[in-house]
Amino acid sequence: MAARRNDRPRRRGLALGAVIALALAASRATPLFAQSGGTATATFAAADTTDALSRAMDAEDKGEFKRAGAAYREVLQKALAVTPPDGDRIALAMLGFERVMNEQGLLDSIVPVTERVLTFRPTDPTARTVLLRTLTSLARDDQARDAFLGWRRASPGDAAPYREYARLLLQRGRSLAADSILGDAARLLGRNAALSGETAQLNVSLNRWEAAAKSYRDALTNQPWLETAGLYGMQRAPVAARDSIRAVLSAEPASLRPRRLLASLETAWGEPRRAWAAIGALPPDDSTLAAWREFGEHAEQTSSWLVARDAWSAIFARNPGSLEAQRRAADAALRAGDATGALTLLRAPSTADERARKQALLGLELAALGELGRMPEAQALLERDGKALDLNARAAIARPLVMGWLRAGDLTRARAAMAGTDLEEDDEMVGWIALYDGDLATARKRLVRAASQRTELVDALGLLARIRLDRSPMLGAAFLAIAKRDSAGAAKMMVTLADSVGTAAPAVLAHAARLMPAANAPTLWDRIVREYPKSPEAPESLLAWARVLRDAGDKPGAVAKLEQMLVEYTDSALAPQGRRELERLKGQVPPGNVAGGMLAPVSRFP
Amino acid sequence: MLAVLLVVLSARSVAAQHLLLPMDDAQRNHLKAYGVTYTAIKGGQKAEWLLNYRGGAFLLPDVPDLRKKAALDGVSVEAMTDAQVAAARAEIAGGNMDAVVLERAPRIAIYRPVDQPPWDDAVTLALTYAGIEFSSVWDDEVMKGDLSKYDWVHLHHEDFTGQYNKLYLAYRDAPWFVAQRDKDLATGRRFGKNDVPGLKKGVAENIRAFVDRGGFLFAMCGATESLDLSIASLMVDIAGPFSDGTPPAADADARLDWTRTLAFAGAHVEPSPYVNALSDIDGHQVNVPSRRQPLGTFSLFGFSAKLDPVATMLVQDHRTVITDFYGVTTSFNRAVVKPGVTVLAQEEGAPWTKYLHGDYGKGSWTFLGGHDPEDPQHAIGSAPTDLSLHPNSPGYRLILNNVLFPAAKKKPRKT
Repeated sequence: MAARRNDRPRRRGLALGAVIALALAASRATPLFAQSGGTATATFAAADTTDALSRAMDAEDKGEFKRAGAAYREVLQKALAVTPPDGDRIALAMLGFERVMNEQGLLDSIVPVTERVLTFRPTDPTARTVLLRTLTSLARDDQARDAFLGWRRASPGDAAPYREYARLLLQRGRSLAADSILGDAARLLGRNAALSGETAQLNVSLNRWEAAAKSYRDALTNQPWLETAGLYGMQRAPVAARDSIRAVLSAEPASLRPRRLLASLETAWGEPRRAWAAIGALPPDDSTLAAWREFGEHAEQTSSWLVARDAWSAIFARNPGSLEAQRRAADAALRAGDATGALTLLRAPSTADERARKQALLGLELAALGELGRMPEAQALLERDGKALDLNARAAIARPLVMGWLRAGDLTRARAAMAGTDLEEDDEMVGWIALYDGDLATARKRLVRAASQRTELVDALGLLARIRLDRSPMLGAAFLAIAKRDSAGAAKMMVTLADSVGTAAPAVLAHAARLMPAANAPTLWDRIVREYPKSPEAPESLLAWARVLRDAGDKPGAVAKLEQMLVEYTDSALAPQGRRELERLKGQVPPGNVAGGMLAPVSRFP
Repeated sequence: MLAVLLVVLSARSVAAQHLLLPMDDAQRNHLKAYGVTYTAIKGGQKAEWLLNYRGGAFLLPDVPDLRKKAALDGVSVEAMTDAQVAAARAEIAGGNMDAVVLERAPRIAIYRPVDQPPWDDAVTLALTYAGIEFSSVWDDEVMKGDLSKYDWVHLHHEDFTGQYNKLYLAYRDAPWFVAQRDKDLATGRRFGKNDVPGLKKGVAENIRAFVDRGGFLFAMCGATESLDLSIASLMVDIAGPFSDGTPPAADADARLDWTRTLAFAGAHVEPSPYVNALSDIDGHQVNVPSRRQPLGTFSLFGFSAKLDPVATMLVQDHRTVITDFYGVTTSFNRAVVKPGVTVLAQEEGAPWTKYLHGDYGKGSWTFLGGHDPEDPQHAIGSAPTDLSLHPNSPGYRLILNNVLFPAAKKKPRKT
């Protein structure tokens, strides 16, 4: 009821707008009517009716539903008396009358009024719809069916009666009856009877997924707005039914709307690669390019970087002058860890202005080279092209350059690259360099102020909080090895370091275990649990160990580790996580991707 | 057959230290506490159910295995000395409380297809989550008389009238539905039944006989209503033509034999195959839009723990007002509940009840309306309920009360 009330002002607003439009139309029409003599009565009647409509809407606005109902009746009476009857006013009055009777709980009163309108206008779609809606709401199923049959007789060949009745039946949860109505429509009006949208919704409500996909594919030809409804309806299809949906929506001849619907479904099902495949092979016209752009933007928002790269690359390939597409494709490739791909994209032939290209892409190219450990090449590139950049662009490339030198393990050149830039004041950058130098005191002070929440920063801060030393060149070297992507070397140094950091040893060992391949980590976890059983890293190690065993298929081993953790570390903050893992391993709770039981018997109705 | 005796424990002291599993708001995982208790009695340990004491707490011996099980399950336990237990017993003796010995783990069977995933039926979910062992039985086993191997049988949403809850009309082409129907027909032929209603009547008759001989029956959802309808219609056709090829008998209502049923009498069957209801037993009629009633809350009745321990056990809970939940059968119209049946819960001011219990022959039964206490609007295709997200569910506690209740040692009735 609250929803109805909230809806009322908008509906009345629309209706009031329609009244004003009608009044304006009537005032413009007056001279014509006046010239035609015999229609003078009609002109006056229309004016009176408009007044009554205003009164009706005014009363409805004030919540005076009884008065509004009487006024709407008056409008209808007068509108039907003119020749020919005024269809627009009749529709407005019918809908208004239905609203105010609904508000008063007097649905019964709508029926005779509607039937009277139909004696004058047997094919009036508004009156027919209102009558059907009212009888369905009153659960007068037999009368509703008679009303549908009456409409069908009055408008043979019209799909509207079938559509409205089927829609109402679906809303009432009577899927079988709706199925029968739509079956009649297909038989009597032909398969493409403009009811494929309703048929699709029916099939969704009955979990007939393949049929639903076929209906939506048909419907989207002429009713593109059903794409969202298709996504909403079919995204809950169980895993087993999805291939049949894919086959239907991707069948030849390929067309954009079904493919775009499939791409949206694949995204909703957590299959971004398949989502891109659904639209990536479409012929590249303007509509396709717009769909690719939309896809690329969505992929960026959801951090699906590989498919974002593909979408922007496809746009760039069709439009080699688009610096935006080239930049976004390369950026997505870099974020996806594909530095080689990023570099290829950045060096692809472009029709864009060379200076603009350098401004837009040089920073990314330096970053890609840095990721690939090709810093001399990056430095040469900077020296060659850097002069062409404006101040802002130069500032923007400082960070990837510094990071590149750090990744190469060259602290001196990293510092040189920072010189004279804002990075000299950047807490995070200064903190990292201090850490790599082994200056833990400065690193601790500066990194804690960094705005970033990146995992590696949080990990570093966690270790710095546990290690009480102010200097440790070995820890600095270990972190520098991490920056150089040498995780095995970093882990080895941390294991060595563990013997000299006192109570921080389990934290350092746990960090080393995280850097190691999963198969090698259990040695360290075992050491932590045995030698430092009271440390917070002990339950963490057991949990991580259990997960590795689980992933390797050793269920009993995983259960044993989890049970050890839960029994020995009952109050650990990780106990709920461990218990959940244990319940899943023992099959006591459903695995995360299980669809609902098919035999559950209750149907839910909207 | 389980010989059931209930005794009140006197204030005799227990030598060892004890573990109290509180079942009030101090408990972190109410549902798994039942599993720990079941494990104790299954392992031959003595357990006591302290009715109305701290939400219906359990008292177990303090042994390493149980401590470990409680820790693994995240169940809150409190160590108690003999003196503390004695003080608790004194408190119990002085109030509407009682202590009941749980002495033997019941042999549990759930009537469900063996290949059905466990997350489709609230009892299966609850037992699986709590770690309570059970066997699955289906039509073959029931028709062969295997129910005699069990103390406790659970039914869920099966339609014992053989009409598949009238879902035939909407799901007749769905692969899972076709497979189930074909399987049922094949089973029926093995036992000389030509159609599914005939097979299900045979199954219902076996279940009735199981209770009559002393078994415990716990039914939820549509099984409550359809079991009694099936029993009452042993000699009359009430099934629609889509299920057995013939229309229901014109005088079906008049020929129903309510003398043989467990809970209901005088109900009227719904003859139309287009109306998704079996009869007027259910107050909510969720699948008939024009009749559907909104969900409210239901209240558990309080009983005298010392005089009426069975009913008291069945309503042990840390909440007495619980949000209602739909099922094929959600509630039971008061007008059709047999005299003598104990109403355990009802919705205030509504003409229906929610939770019923009664004796039948040498056995007893409990009916709870609704499908899943933590999924009030459960629909076909809904995701399964993950009970680790509802470890304190008061609705699921009602189910687990029924599981432990047959473990209680019976004492002579005082009334």
